Amino acid sequence: MKISRRNLFKLSATAGLTAFTASAFSPLVGLVNVAQANPLKSSKVKPFNFAVIGDAHLYEAPNHRFDKTLERAVSDVVKMRPKPDFVVFIGDLANFGKKEELLKGKKILDRLKKAGIPYKIIPGEHDWYLDLGKFWKELFGSPYWSFNHNGVHFIGLNSILVEDYWTAKGMTPWERMLAIAELECHVCGLWGVGEKQIRWLEKDVKNLSPDTPIVIFTHSPLWNYYPRWNFQTKDADAIRQILSKFEKVIAIHGHVHQVVYNRTDNMVHIGNLATSWPWPYPPVELPYPQIVMNRADPGDIYDGVGFATTYIDDTFLGLLKYKEWADLIPKDLKNGISL
Amino acid sequence: MKNKRYILTGVFALAISSLIFVNSSLGKPPLSEEDLKLMNEELINLVKKGDELWHSEKLGTNGLSCANCHPDAANSNPHTFPKFQENVGKVATLREMINWCIQIPLEGKTLPEDSEEMKALEAYSIYMYRGFKLKPGDNQKAYPPVEVKEGAGYP
Repeated sequence: MKISRRNLFKLSATAGLTAFTASAFSPLVGLVNVAQANPLKSSKVKPFNFAVIGDAHLYEAPNHRFDKTLERAVSDVVKMRPKPDFVVFIGDLANFGKKEELLKGKKILDRLKKAGIPYKIIPGEHDWYLDLGKFWKELFGSPYWSFNHNGVHFIGLNSILVEDYWTAKGMTPWERMLAIAELECHVCGLWGVGEKQIRWLEKDVKNLSPDTPIVIFTHSPLWNYYPRWNFQTKDADAIRQILSKFEKVIAIHGHVHQVVYNRTDNMVHIGNLATSWPWPYPPVELPYPQIVMNRADPGDIYDGVGFATTYIDDTFLGLLKYKEWADLIPKDLKNGISL
Repeated sequence: MKNKRYILTGVFALAISSLIFVNSSLGKPPLSEEDLKLMNEELINLVKKGDELWHSEKLGTNGLSCANCHPDAANSNPHTFPKFQENVGKVATLREMINWCIQIPLEGKTLPEDSEEMKALEAYSIYMYRGFKLKPGDNQKAYPPVEVKEGAGYP
């Protein structure tokens, strides 16, 4: 039976499917769910869109290939209609934490502001370990934050804090940066958000009721994916515990440069594409092996990369669409993944 | 009786010939533990050199290294070569593919295929896929390497 607008009204009127009607005209209707997402029973969300860009890994050299891909993501977001309410940049703006790289990145991201789209940003390890975040903080302020938007509580954390691996080894700031710039860094250890942010998070959500819709951004995943490549956050358990009182939490992360999805209790986790290059899948089993990306053509700088847009409907169902420039996203994921 | 003698002679002949065969196959004395250790050290030195090059930006001109896309040599799939590579436009060896990567994504200058650098890069890639079954021609899949728990991924 073809569901037209008219008989959908009829259907909902007779069957009294209020929850269904509420999102009847959202892009989520008709979506084939590869993983079932849950709406909130009672929600006061005013539907909206936001975009997530990240892992730009800008180098100092002018007209670098990664400048082009970040610029393309930003100009695609600027052209989006309806306009996204805001953008979150999810870490690794620079590749070696250099001032020139960060300044170049800020200049490109500021085009969003000029187009009337505000952005929030969290750091990645590539932004941080040349000067331990000093210049990043000068440019962008606090590396962790929260804000409310249209009935949703948004949280961003700095998840890439490691214990000092450099002092005992007598490493220079540059050597420290080069070490952690390798995904398979042998000396850096596992990273996390640390005690201070855990206490801050507890306080931040203390007075929120369990039916508050929560979206949390971290550079690295809040589940144990592949610690060898820091596809993890050391204190993810503590974070998930603090957020366990909420009915539903959407967690979006970068760092993995790939399509990846997981669920833990009340949380749904999804990885963002990089604008720089794709990482391979690690040698572990994926929790949702049907949610993966295609192999990329390494000869095409626009393949294997992209960004994401997310629509949040009035029942706090999310729809994340990966925005790609080549044939990266499998056909059954092209219409989006429900969160 | 006569038959029994024939059988005995046959068994004797077989025993002699197998002795000769065994002797000739052991023409060289077996390798000592120490020899094997030295040989393996030589190999690991080459793998280590390859690991360093793999993670170095000096092969290219745009700051990228092999490790940008291939951490722990992941997705280098050495066990699937030779195979027809669309981007190379012919059946390519692993070395030809490495040169393609240096030339295109890294925007660098190709290495002579018999150079020490090329051998080292190849050794690192193959070593990280040790134990994998050979699948020449496999173009369908990208394979992750061995799972590394700590260190460089080789002894």
